[in-house]
Amino acid sequence: MRLTAKPLALLILAVIFGGVMVTSAFNWWTTESTKVPAKFSEGEAAGQYDPADIRGSYTFGDVEKNFGVPAAQLAAAFALPAGTDPASFKVNQLESIYEDLEVEIGTASVRLFTAFYTGLPYDLTAEEESYLPLQAVEILTALGTLTPERLAYLAAHTIDLDAAPPAETALPAAEATPAPQVSGTPQADHTPEAEDGTVRGKTTFQELLDWGVPQERIEAVLGGPMPAPGVVIKDYVTAQGQEYATVRDALQAEVDAVLKK
Amino acid sequence: MSSLSATLTRITRRRVWPRTLLQIFFFAFIALVSINHTLAESGGGIPFLSSASLHALCPFGGVVSIYQYATTGTFVQKIHDSSFILMILVTLLAVLFGPVFCGWVCPLGSAQEWVGKLGKKLFKRRYNHFVPLKLDRVLRYARYLMLAWVLYMTAVTGKLIFADIDPYHALFNLWSSEIAIGGVIVLAVTLVGALFVERPWCKYACPYGALLGLTNLFRVFKIRRKEEACKNCSLCSRSCPMNLPVNTAKVIRDPQCISCLECTTEGVCPAPGALEFSAGGK
Repeated sequence: MRLTAKPLALLILAVIFGGVMVTSAFNWWTTESTKVPAKFSEGEAAGQYDPADIRGSYTFGDVEKNFGVPAAQLAAAFALPAGTDPASFKVNQLESIYEDLEVEIGTASVRLFTAFYTGLPYDLTAEEESYLPLQAVEILTALGTLTPERLAYLAAHTIDLDAAPPAETALPAAEATPAPQVSGTPQADHTPEAEDGTVRGKTTFQELLDWGVPQERIEAVLGGPMPAPGVVIKDYVTAQGQEYATVRDALQAEVDAVLKK
Repeated sequence: MSSLSATLTRITRRRVWPRTLLQIFFFAFIALVSINHTLAESGGGIPFLSSASLHALCPFGGVVSIYQYATTGTFVQKIHDSSFILMILVTLLAVLFGPVFCGWVCPLGSAQEWVGKLGKKLFKRRYNHFVPLKLDRVLRYARYLMLAWVLYMTAVTGKLIFADIDPYHALFNLWSSEIAIGGVIVLAVTLVGALFVERPWCKYACPYGALLGLTNLFRVFKIRRKEEACKNCSLCSRSCPMNLPVNTAKVIRDPQCISCLECTTEGVCPAPGALEFSAGGK
């Protein structure tokens, strides 16, 4: 059987658009995340959703639906500004609210909170350290279900937002209140000298270069060429679809290595 | 000269125009959807047009998600059911007709072809013959390495690693904040390369083309050459964008064939029935 260009063109259109229409009719065609996390495949929690798979695109409402943590409770834990709808608030929006903090409050923090709230397993030895606001820690400790190991972790990973309420953290630096206190962080980290070598949400690639980190090392961490030096690292990494916290920690290690010399 | 002119006229008349139409259609469609996605992110958007992300409309996203889906039941970040469905549809097309996705649908392939038209004007017969044959043969295996690397890295990291260097993603995100520097560099190299070599990305680097090309070994419809009707003019080989030796083969099974039909009687072949796209027979 011979096939010419015209029928072939029609067949291609029919298969692609016909396929899309048929799958749409069965509600299989979705172009957005279904917001269903992965499940634990083994251990006591086998079959339950894994908090470590919470994505930045999830809303607090999605977290409530999958893990049973009330969205209002999440809003209180992360001190969302008044008037915010907790159910439609996206997890990754936390990073922009708290971008000026010394430590990151973001997706990883929601994963940690959810795991501790529900008692589900969570890897505390991962490279990516997760911090929680004091409000979140108070909610968790009030539950009375935390293990000594988890309580010890929280003791070293709590940030007191009272010194810089979330609504003000987004204000220009001149208007911002003093930096909040972080528990469990060595005092030396708070000295102005040490802060010069700390990778934060506003740190640019130029600052890394100024601290003496070779461009090749930065590119090795990025896995590709470095953009213009004036670009904010967090903006660039986020735009690349990479996990900011992972890249930040790797870059911090490079800075630390240079400063030790 | 007059016979050459007549031949050229005949070739132009027989060009596989439905393919060109489809290429323009899919290029425009993906461009519009991608622009709409950017508009929708900022609260706007064109009504009645999908605002899906480019990842959601890329069948290769389904391919790189297979491992994670099989092991955890979830997709790689940014990949959705639509990618899986498109992967299945494109695979169905490939089993029937070979990699028609590459030759008829893929906007990046089309963009390379259109840039290549300028290259043809600039370099005439030298166009598409700049890479030494021996080097060309070796380089053509690179896309399998690319495929293996992308599949492995995506499986290990659970992230869409390829997006960082994907020229297709870069092409339709030049206006958005989602653009990756690596992708822009690869896109620039690809388009400049297309001035000298037809479809350089497809030939040497495309991981999806590498996978789809394997269906040429068993596709239902194949390009077949009837020796008794062939005039041995070699126009078929010279017109092949993938530089395949069509004039010496009986059936085209080369994984690089993109089923564009340019070599057939509908395209450049002047001998009726000598080169056809058909099913049945050996």
